[in-house]
Amino acid sequence: MLNRYLRPPGAVTEKEFLHRCIQCGQCAQVCPFDCITLKTGWFHSGTPEIDPRVSPCKLCMRCSAICPSDALEDVSIEKSRMGLAKLNKDECYTWIGLILCRSCFERCPLKGKAILLDKGIYPVITDQCVGCGICEYVCPKKAIVTVPARFLET
Amino acid sequence: MKKPTIKFYRRILQISVAAAFIVIPYLNHQLQINYICGNFLSVRILGLTLADPLAVLQVSVQNWYIAPGILIAAGIVLALAICLGTVFCSWICPYGLLSEWVHGLAGRLLPENYKGLNIRISAFRIKVCIFTVGMLFTLLFAATPVMNQFSMPAWYSRIFQYIFVQKHLSLAAGVIVAILFIEFISRNRLWCRCLCPQAVLLVLVRFVNPYHLKVGYQKEKCLISGSVQGPCQKACSLSLDMKTLNQALETECTNCGDCVAVCKNTGQALGFQFKRWRSKEEGFRFKNLL
Repeated sequence: MLNRYLRPPGAVTEKEFLHRCIQCGQCAQVCPFDCITLKTGWFHSGTPEIDPRVSPCKLCMRCSAICPSDALEDVSIEKSRMGLAKLNKDECYTWIGLILCRSCFERCPLKGKAILLDKGIYPVITDQCVGCGICEYVCPKKAIVTVPARFLET
Repeated sequence: MKKPTIKFYRRILQISVAAAFIVIPYLNHQLQINYICGNFLSVRILGLTLADPLAVLQVSVQNWYIAPGILIAAGIVLALAICLGTVFCSWICPYGLLSEWVHGLAGRLLPENYKGLNIRISAFRIKVCIFTVGMLFTLLFAATPVMNQFSMPAWYSRIFQYIFVQKHLSLAAGVIVAILFIEFISRNRLWCRCLCPQAVLLVLVRFVNPYHLKVGYQKEKCLISGSVQGPCQKACSLSLDMKTLNQALETECTNCGDCVAVCKNTGQALGFQFKRWRSKEEGFRFKNLL
């Protein structure tokens, strides 16, 4: 499991999330795509995590609707800040000019908002990105890394 | 044909709850049937959410925020305890079922004269100490509701969640077996009686209502009065002496009804009742409680 696992959509800030999460696992059970797994280990065990390299979040928002203790708040897709995708332009096939790949752009659930095509060719990730991790999952070169929201908190 | 006893109905309920929490993760994950989901910390049944009051207390004191849904969820569970006492422990808890089976097994396999571990001080006092220390630790140091990790029914259901969600056999399965083995040797249902912090709130909250369900004792009818160990005490898995049952002992009684069922065959001195305690010394005193 990655150290940079994501929290499900609608999660409040990490400190508050750990306080609020009652560890019931309902979010993992309603997830229709088996994206959410439960953390193992000691104190954080039972809290939900998403590994974008295994199964990224499809933003169906069922988990945030069902969470009984409001650790996942029932918000719209645009406001669910799970993280932010970062594109490494030195590795991206399109940016280094190898082939014309638009995998991330085509699969982005916020297509046209979170990922734009610069000059109609080069993918660019904007700050509208909610960090679902789909682009990281589909990128053939693994040039995209999704940074979880808790690493971006100041 | 013999009429089924209270214990028969109790076992049916216990086993069906224990089986349900094995089936629920399977239904949710393999078949996408989400009518019931969750574990013993919080379970959602057709839109109705129930929650462990201790888990809710922890998440509320940690950030001074209570989600309204979870407050109602814990309230329903507490209301059950206010009316019927700690029936959760004896009628629902799957760990209680395992513990009772281990206790019965120890009675059969271990020699008669081996009495096991004898605890002299009030078992409820130990529980309250653990509860208080745990709550203080949660409030001051912990980042997560840590006392969830000491909840045996929660771990029972979480083991199956881990197995079906991510094919991971949790270490907790070994811990539960180890604790059951200790209970087998100590022969006094150590965890349920002295350690389980989840029951503390359920025990305390029913003193709000003096008319809660309890086992009443009629001295006139009892055939084995005095200090002799009667069949009721032998039937009780916690070895409580129902003949001296008062508020002090009542912190341990879980209204399982085994003593009532046995007493039906003899004097019929014991029975469930919603009445207040009759005499003064049985009455409510905090001194008796601890």
